[in-house]
This record gives sequence, structure tokens and C-alpha cells, in this order.
Amino acid sequence: MRERHDDMGPSTHLREPVGRGRVSDVRERTVPLYWKVCLINGTVFLAGTLALLLSPASVSRRALLSEAVVLTLGLGVMLLTNALLLRASLAPIDRVVRQMDAVDLLTPGHRLAGDDGGGPGGRLVASFNAMLDRLEAERSSSDARALAAEEDERHRIARELHDEVGQQLTVVLLGLKQVRQRAPAELVEELELVRESARAGLDDVRRVARELRPGVLEDLGLHSALAALATGFGAHGGPTVRRSIAPGLPALPPATELVVYRVAQEALTNAARHAGASRVELTLQRLGDLVVLGVDDDGRGLPVDATGAGLRGMRERARSVGGELAVTGRPGRGTRVRLSVPAGPA
Amino acid sequence: MTTRILLADDHALVRRGVRLILDQEPDLEVVAEAGDGAEAVTLLRDVPVDLVVLDIAMPRMTGLQAAREIARRREPPRVLMLSMHDNEQYFFESLKVGASGYVLKSVADEDLVAACRSAMRGEAFVYPGAMSALVRDYLDRLRRGERVPATVLTEREDEVLKLIAEGSSSKEIAVALTISVKTVERHRANILARLGMRDRTQLVRYAIRAGLVEP
Repeated sequence: MRERHDDMGPSTHLREPVGRGRVSDVRERTVPLYWKVCLINGTVFLAGTLALLLSPASVSRRALLSEAVVLTLGLGVMLLTNALLLRASLAPIDRVVRQMDAVDLLTPGHRLAGDDGGGPGGRLVASFNAMLDRLEAERSSSDARALAAEEDERHRIARELHDEVGQQLTVVLLGLKQVRQRAPAELVEELELVRESARAGLDDVRRVARELRPGVLEDLGLHSALAALATGFGAHGGPTVRRSIAPGLPALPPATELVVYRVAQEALTNAARHAGASRVELTLQRLGDLVVLGVDDDGRGLPVDATGAGLRGMRERARSVGGELAVTGRPGRGTRVRLSVPAGPA
Repeated sequence: MTTRILLADDHALVRRGVRLILDQEPDLEVVAEAGDGAEAVTLLRDVPVDLVVLDIAMPRMTGLQAAREIARRREPPRVLMLSMHDNEQYFFESLKVGASGYVLKSVADEDLVAACRSAMRGEAFVYPGAMSALVRDYLDRLRRGERVPATVLTEREDEVLKLIAEGSSSKEIAVALTISVKTVERHRANILARLGMRDRTQLVRYAIRAGLVEP
């Protein structure tokens, strides 16, 4: 949870993306890792050889104790020098391996600090960071495509339900009223049952269509949609939802509005169903270039290792429109959801 | 005097069903039909009507747009919205654009005639879902100690109020209190009047003040 908490600021962890350009610059200036290792070893051996050749020291055919000591010391110095030089070059490899194990594309923006020396290790870090950039960009665009396809399909089904099935059932309902008025007495009770059935069917169609796609969002806008959401939760025995929506918010692109709505819906559902909250605060306001949705409840709070499908879905949705999601909470202290989306056109 | 009605819905069979129900009443008569909002607005120029019943979701011009257009006329007829959406935001939006009432399609067979008559009396027709949202909000504010319109409800009205807040239908309330549906309806109307929500202007004002809708 701590790590998530650190995500609160929209860009605390974001470093300048390392582009391909910089990687190739590095490549031109430096030798490959293999040659660098050879070079280091070669230099150290050369230094040892030169020391043997040029110094007055010599080794007798049967080595004396003093000569053995000098040789051992020399060897030790060579090994130490070699180790130190290689360490500087190879340490970034371990860091990259550790980062590879820990990387999570759903919480993007974590990058290794670069090695400005420009050595092979630094190049590895730079390449790795660039690869993460590409993966995250690809991941987020394919998520966005999948979500858009899903929403389109939901939209289509909801419209079909509303415009076709709903209208047909309305016709049935109105027709049954006519029939009932002229029906013989013994059929009236039966007709009443059928009529109530048609009514229940119509209610179901409406409910399913609304769950698939909030028509109010399209027809009346985000403000009304959030208001309806808040009222709806209060109505069905859920927690009391207090909302404060700042006036004069900039118009958001439809895809972004839908994400804000879906995240609010998911967060409220979590608060009501899993957290057992009794009060929820729903806010929408502008902070600089961002529009920020907040959902705060007084429920049980998230378990420390909360990584449900719901949270994951919210994160994916947020990323699909260039937004950021932060969920914080401690057991017993309630949960706090913050979604920041760009206020301008995405 | 009979009320002359213009009926607009894009679904011809729904239009026919609604028409049959309205034409059965001696005081109501459908004099024109339209397939979308734009057609309804055009028809109004030639056909004198007292009441327009508009489906909220229509192609070309939606019911809400048409209602706004109609409200701009010099002597506008009364307007009722017919809708699939059980959502108080649509209800308040309808009142804001000038409609006197909002009838859910799933209870149109029961409520439409009563809604037409209350629209012609100049009262708002509050569909049950919006009524319970309003009443719940009122009770919430009362509990929080906020200043609310001073009202004295009778004991019976208070019982009805609580049942409405719990989302009970008129029928359910009638059964629970062993009174007739007609009596429940009368209590409902009294409660609205006492809370200062008798007509559309009062309702919109209340909803805005209570923060239920954006001004």
C-alpha cells in the first residue's frame, strides 16, 4: 500500500522518457560490454607484466619465500583492481534484473536511475528504460482499444434493448390494458398477472440497459450522471452519498467522462458492498490541468494487499484516457480513491 | 371541455397503444400524432392543442429538445414526458425545460391518464421514483437539522411519507395502511403541496436549492 500511496502525485515517479535517440548516442560513444571487460582485464594483466619486466624483481628457479610473498601481493592487487573496475561496469546489470522482477505494467512510471557515466552498464539501463516505455505505451493503447470496443458493444446492446425490446414490451403492456377492459370476468385475474409480468419485464430491460450504458451521461452530462449515481446508491439501502461537484468544470471528451463515471461507479460499489461504509464523499473538482474525482468512504478500508479485478479495471480505464488512479486506505480507516484526468482534450 | 392532445413517439405501435388508452377517456382526445420531436414542433404551428405528450428518446429532435422549443411559443400547450428512464435527473431536466410531468412507460397504462389530468389542472405529475427521491432528501435534511420548509403533516401523512421514502408504490402503501389507492394518491398530493412542491416551478426551485440538480 505504501508504494501506491507514493503514486498520489500524478507524476512523482515519472522520469523523462528515455528515447531511442539517446540510446544510440550512447552506443556511438562507447565500446560494447564484451570489449570493455576484455580491455579491463588486458590493462590489468599488462600492468602486471610490465611490472615484472621493468622492475628489478626476478624469480629464481626455486622460488624464495620473499619472492612468493611479493608475487602473491602483486596477484592480490591485480585481482582487486580488476574486481573494482568490473564492478562499476557490471553493477547496473543486477539492478536491471531486480527491476525486471518487480516491474508491473499497471503501475507504470517506475524507471531505473540512469548511469551518467555512459558505460555499458548505463547503456543497459537506458535500453531497459526505453523498452519499458515502449511496453507501457503499447499496453496502454491496446487496453484503450479493448475498453473502447467493449463500451461500443455495451452501447449497441443497450440501445437495442431500449429501442426495440423496451418498445415492444410497452406495446404489450398498453395492449393488455385494452384487452382487460373488454375481457370476460373470469379472465381478468389471469390478465392482471400477465400485465404485471410484462411490467416486470420492462423494468428488467430498463435496469439491464442502464447497467450496460448510463444513458443519462450521454443525454444530460457527467454532472447529472454522477448525481443520479449518488442518489441511486442512497436509495437502495446503501451508504449516504454526499456529493460536491465544482461548478464550471471544463467539458471533458466523451471517453474521459465515461471513465470518470465508471470509476465513480466501481468505487461506490466497493464502498457499499465490500467496505460496509455508511458515509461516502463524492467530489469532482479542477486542480490545475487536471480534473480530479474523489471517492472517500468510512468503511473497513482496503486490505494491505488489495489487488482485485475491480481495482485493476479502474486502473486500466484511467490509463486508457491518460489519467492516473490512486487508491489508499488502511484497514479500519476507510478508503480513498483519486482519479486525475487531463482537463484538456485527451 | 375535452383536452386536445398531440402525441409524439417514434414507435408507431406504442403511439397506437397510448392513443387507445387516451381516447377511451371522455375528456381526452388525441388530435395529432408525430414520429419525432421536429415533426411535433412543426405540427403545433397548424393544429391547436392543449397538451403535448412527448417520448423522451426520439430521432431528429429528442423529447427534451422539443419541449424546450415548445416552451418558447407564445401560448405554449402543457407538456408531458413519456420515458423509459427511471431516473430523477431526467425528471428534473424535463421540468426545467418546461414539462409539467414525467410518466414512466412501465406504468403508463396506470399513470398516463392521471398525469394528463394533473397537467391540465396546472399541477406537476411526480412519478413515484422521483417522489421517493424528493421525500428521502427531505427526511435526510430534517435529520441533519437543516432548515426545511416548515410543515405540519398529519399522523397519516407522516406514515405515507415514510413509506414513500422507502420506495413503496401507492398500491403497497394502500395495502400496508389498509386504505384505498385513491386515498394514498390524495395523501401524496397533500404532502407535495405542504412541502411546497405543488407545481413544476416550485419543484424545480426545491430541487435546485436542495442540490439535487444543477441550476
